[in-house]
Amino acid sequence: MIARAIPRPVTAADEMLLKITRLTKVFKGSGPPVHAVREVSLSVRRGQFVAVMGPSGSGKSSLLHMIGGLEPPTSGEIWFDGVRVDGLSQAAWALRRRQHIGFVFQFFNLVSNMTVADNVELPALMSGATRRQARERRTELLAELGLSDKAGASPARLSGGEQQRVALARALANRPSLLLADEPTGNLDSLNTSDVLRVLRRVHGQGQAIILVTHDARAASMADRVINLFDGMVADDMDVLPPVRSSVAAAGVIRLGE
Amino acid sequence: MRAALRWIRSDLRAHPTQVIVELLVVAGVLTALLLSATVLEGATNPWRGLFAQSKGAQIWLHLTHGTNVSQLRHIGGVTELAGPYTTTAATIVQGPVQSAVELREMTPKMPQIGRLLVRQGSWLRYSAPDGVVLEASFAQAIHAVVGTRLVVNGIDGPTARVRVIGIAATSDQGFYPDQTPGLAWVQRPVLRRVEPVAKHTEELVGIKIADPDSLNTSFVAQQAVAELSGAVQNVSTWMQVEQSMARGDPLLGLLLALFGLVTLGGAVLVILNATGGRVLVQLEDLATLKSLGFTPGQITDMVVAEHAAVGLAGTAVGVVATRFLTVSLLQGIPAAIVPAVVPLPALWIVFIACSGELLVILAAAFPAWRAGRVSAVVAVRRPLPSGHLSQLARLAMLSRFPPAVVLGARAAFIRRLPAVLTVGGLAVSMAVITIGLGVASTVDDVQQHPADIGLAAALTVSPGELNQAEAARIVAADRQVAHAYPSVQVTALLASGQTTITTLGLGTSARPYPFDVAQGSLYRAPGQAVASQGLLDLLHAKIGTFVTMQINGVPVIFHFVGRIVEPEYNGQVLAYGLDTLKEAGVESPPVYYSLVLRPGITASAARAHLLSVSGGRLDVAEVTNPAGQLGIIRPMLIGLIAVLALVGLASVLTASAVGIRDQLRDVGALRAIGLTPGQVMLSLISSTAALAIVAIAIGATAGLLVSTRLINLGAQLYGIGSGIGRPPSAEAMAVAILIAAAGATLTAIWPARRAATIPVAAMLRP
Repeated sequence: MIARAIPRPVTAADEMLLKITRLTKVFKGSGPPVHAVREVSLSVRRGQFVAVMGPSGSGKSSLLHMIGGLEPPTSGEIWFDGVRVDGLSQAAWALRRRQHIGFVFQFFNLVSNMTVADNVELPALMSGATRRQARERRTELLAELGLSDKAGASPARLSGGEQQRVALARALANRPSLLLADEPTGNLDSLNTSDVLRVLRRVHGQGQAIILVTHDARAASMADRVINLFDGMVADDMDVLPPVRSSVAAAGVIRLGE
Repeated sequence: MRAALRWIRSDLRAHPTQVIVELLVVAGVLTALLLSATVLEGATNPWRGLFAQSKGAQIWLHLTHGTNVSQLRHIGGVTELAGPYTTTAATIVQGPVQSAVELREMTPKMPQIGRLLVRQGSWLRYSAPDGVVLEASFAQAIHAVVGTRLVVNGIDGPTARVRVIGIAATSDQGFYPDQTPGLAWVQRPVLRRVEPVAKHTEELVGIKIADPDSLNTSFVAQQAVAELSGAVQNVSTWMQVEQSMARGDPLLGLLLALFGLVTLGGAVLVILNATGGRVLVQLEDLATLKSLGFTPGQITDMVVAEHAAVGLAGTAVGVVATRFLTVSLLQGIPAAIVPAVVPLPALWIVFIACSGELLVILAAAFPAWRAGRVSAVVAVRRPLPSGHLSQLARLAMLSRFPPAVVLGARAAFIRRLPAVLTVGGLAVSMAVITIGLGVASTVDDVQQHPADIGLAAALTVSPGELNQAEAARIVAADRQVAHAYPSVQVTALLASGQTTITTLGLGTSARPYPFDVAQGSLYRAPGQAVASQGLLDLLHAKIGTFVTMQINGVPVIFHFVGRIVEPEYNGQVLAYGLDTLKEAGVESPPVYYSLVLRPGITASAARAHLLSVSGGRLDVAEVTNPAGQLGIIRPMLIGLIAVLALVGLASVLTASAVGIRDQLRDVGALRAIGLTPGQVMLSLISSTAALAIVAIAIGATAGLLVSTRLINLGAQLYGIGSGIGRPPSAEAMAVAILIAAAGATLTAIWPARRAATIPVAAMLRP
C-alpha cells in the first residue's frame, strides 16, 4: 500500500529508449559474405541526440535500418522501450514504426504519386487518426517547416531542401519517440542543410530521441553524443557538451566520455 | 485503411492511361464473355428470347367452338388473355408432299400479347386477303419462301390457293417437325374457304399470368381446364414449348467455350502483367510506405484493392455496354442459330460479372503478394541492373547498326523478370491469336470440304411416292450424281439395355460411304464399323473392340475398325455397310440414298433436277452442314482479337513504363555524351520493340505448334473427334505478325517521346 503512495524513482532503465547488444549484419550475395555490422552494442536514452559517423561502407546505414526494423539483424538483440524487438515479424515492426519511429532518408523518398499534403498526412491516417486530425497535424507541421504554400504540390516539383523538409514533416507526424535520419543533408546545399539541421535541433528540444547518420561534422556537432563506426565496429563513442557561449577555449568544449 | 485509400486514390490519379487500359481490358473481356454467353444461351434455349420479344402468353388452350372464355379472367394470377383466335386443321399440298398445318385466323392488326416476330416479308395485310404467314421452322421444312404459292386443303376437301407473304417466329409452340402440325396465320376469308362450317373450327386462347414459375403455371392451367370443363381440347404451357425448342449444339458450344476461356486467359495475363509492372515501377514508393509503417499485409491488400476497384469499374462498364449493345452487336447472327437475341437473365449477368471480378482479384493477388514482400531497404539501396555489352551488341555496333537501337534493345533484357512478364504476356496473346486463326481456317475447311466431317453427301433421296427400284434407277441415271450410297438409319440398343444410339448403314462393305477416317480404317467387311469419338467414349471402347448391340431385337456384333469425325447425333454414331445388317439377319428398314455430287454441282441445283425428273415424286432433302451455322465465328474472332490487342497494348505500355524508369538515368548520361533527343527516343522505342518482336516470334511459333492439336483436343472432348483441326493460313499469319509488330512499336512511341523531352539535368538527378 505504501509503495503505491510513494512515486517510484526514475531509474536508469526507464530512461533507456533503445538498447542493442552484439548486433551483427552479414550480407550474403554471390561473392564472399560482407560483414556490414560486427557485434555493435550501444544504448540510447530518451531524448538523446546521437550522431553516427564513419566512412562509406562502415555499416552506418545498415545499423540504422536494423534499429528501424527495415532489415533483420543476422544476430544480436534490439530492445526498444524495454521490449525485445529483433525477432518481430515485419508486420509487428511496421506497427512499431508507425507509432514510435520516424525515418528520414538521403534521397527523401517521398511517395511520388502523392501530393505533399498526402505524404505528410499518411502516417497519421495510418495510425488511425480521423481525416480532420490528420489535416490539422499536417497544417501545423507544414507551417512550422515553412511549407504551407506547397501543400498541394507534387514532390517532383519541389527543390531538394523542400523535399527533405517534407520528409521530416512526414517523419514527425506521429510524434515518434525516435527519429532515424540517414544522411538527411547528404544531398543538400549549405542553405538547405541549415534548414534541416534547425528542424532537427527543434525536434531534439521537444525531447524526441534522434539517431543521425551523417558525414557532415556540422550536423554531428549538434548531437549529444557522436559514435564513429569503422568496418562495422564502434571505433569510438563520446558525449558532446553543449557549446558554451563564453570565451572558454575550444579544448574545454569537448569532453571525452567514458 | 484511410491511409491505404489515400494511396490508392493518388496512384489511380497518377497513372490515368494505365488505369484506363486496364479498365478497358476488363470491360472488353466481360463484354466478350457476356455476349458469348448470350449467344450460347440464345442458341440452346431459343424459347426465352422468342418469348420475351413476342410478349408471349404462358398457357395456350385449344377450345371447342363458341366457348365463353371470359371466366378465365377470374382465375387468380391471370393478368391478360390473348385471342380467342379461330383455328382449323388443314394440309398444305406441294405436289406429292402433304404437310399437316394449323391455320390460325388473325387480323392485320398485330396482337399485343403473343406477337408474331416477322422475319421475312410482312405480316397479314388487308391488301392481300389470300396471304399466309408461315412459322419460320415450318416454312424451312416445306421449302417455302416469301412469294411461294401453296394449296391448302381442308379436312373435308375444300381447297384454297394462298401465297406466302411473310415468315414469322413465335413462342406459342415448338419448332417443326418436333411439334406438328406446322403453323400458318391467315385472314378470315381463307379460313372460311378451308373450313366453311364454323362449329368444326376450334378456338385458341392464350393466358398470361403474373407469376410464371412452373408450379404456378401448372396450377393456373389446371384451374383453367376445370373452369372450362369439357371444352378444352388441348393445353400447352411455356415449359413444354421451352423443352421442345431446347437443343444442344456441340460445335457452337465448343467454339464459345474456347472463346470464353481465351478471353479469360487474356484478362488474367493483363492483370498479372499490369499489376506486376506497376509494382515494379512503384518499388521505391512501396518501400517508403513500409518504412512509414505499412505492414506487408496492408501493402498486399492495398494493391489488390486498387486493382479490384479498377476491375469493378471495368466490370460495370462491361455490363452496361453489353446491356446496350447486345441487340446491335448480335444482330448479324443468323436466326437459325439464335432465333431471338435478348439480354441474358440478370442472375447470369451477376454470376459472370462476379466471376470476372473474382478473376481480377486472383490475378492481382500474386503481384500484390510480391509487393508486400518488397524490401523496405530498396528505398535506400536502389539496386540498378547492370550487365556486360553482349557479343551480339558489340557486333551490331561494329556493323554500324544505329547505336541507339542497339543500346535500347540491350537495355530491354537487363531486367529479367519484367522482360519475361512482358514477353510472356505478349507471346501468349500472339499464340492465342494464332490459335484463333487456326480455328478460322478449320471452320473454312469444314464449310468448304464437308466430306472431312462425314458429310460427303450433299443430298439424301427417299423414294417418296415411287418404289425402291424406280428411285434407284432415277438416282443412278442422274448425271449430276457422282455416287449414290444406299443408306439406312436405325436405332440400336446398347448392351446396358437402357441407352439407344443412332446407327447408320451407309453403302456396303464392298463400296463403303467415303467417310474421312481420322484413325484406323473404313469398314471393308460385314461386321466392321466405324464409330465417332463420342460413341467410343460412351462405350469405353477403342478401335479393335468388338461390341454387341440389338437392332430391331436382333443382336449384332460390330468390330470397331476406325474412328470418324461426326458433329451430329451428339457425336454418338456408328456407321457400317448395309450387308452387315443382312448378314446378321436384321430386317432392313426402308432404304434412302446418300448422294455425292459431281464437283461444281450445287445441292439445290441437283435437288431441283431430281425433283423435275421424278415429277416431284421423289423426296429430296439437302444435307445441312452444321458448319453453316458457324458464320458467327468471324465476329467472334474479331472480338477476340480486339480483346487480345488490348492485352498486348497493356503489356507494351507496362514494358515502356518499366523500361523508361530503368533507363532514364542511363539515358541522361548518354544524352550528356551526345545522343540527340531523337536518338534517345529511338533507343527507348527499340527497347520495347525488341521485347515485342521476341514475344511475337515465340507466340506465333508456340501458337502454330499447338493450334491444330488444341482444336483437335477440344473436338475430341466434345465427342466430335480429333481430326478436324487445320493450321492457320500463311497469309493470315503474315498479316497478324506484321500488324502486331507495328502496333507494339507504334504504342511505344508515345511514352518514349515524352521521356525523350525531359531535360538532361532532371534525368541525372537521383
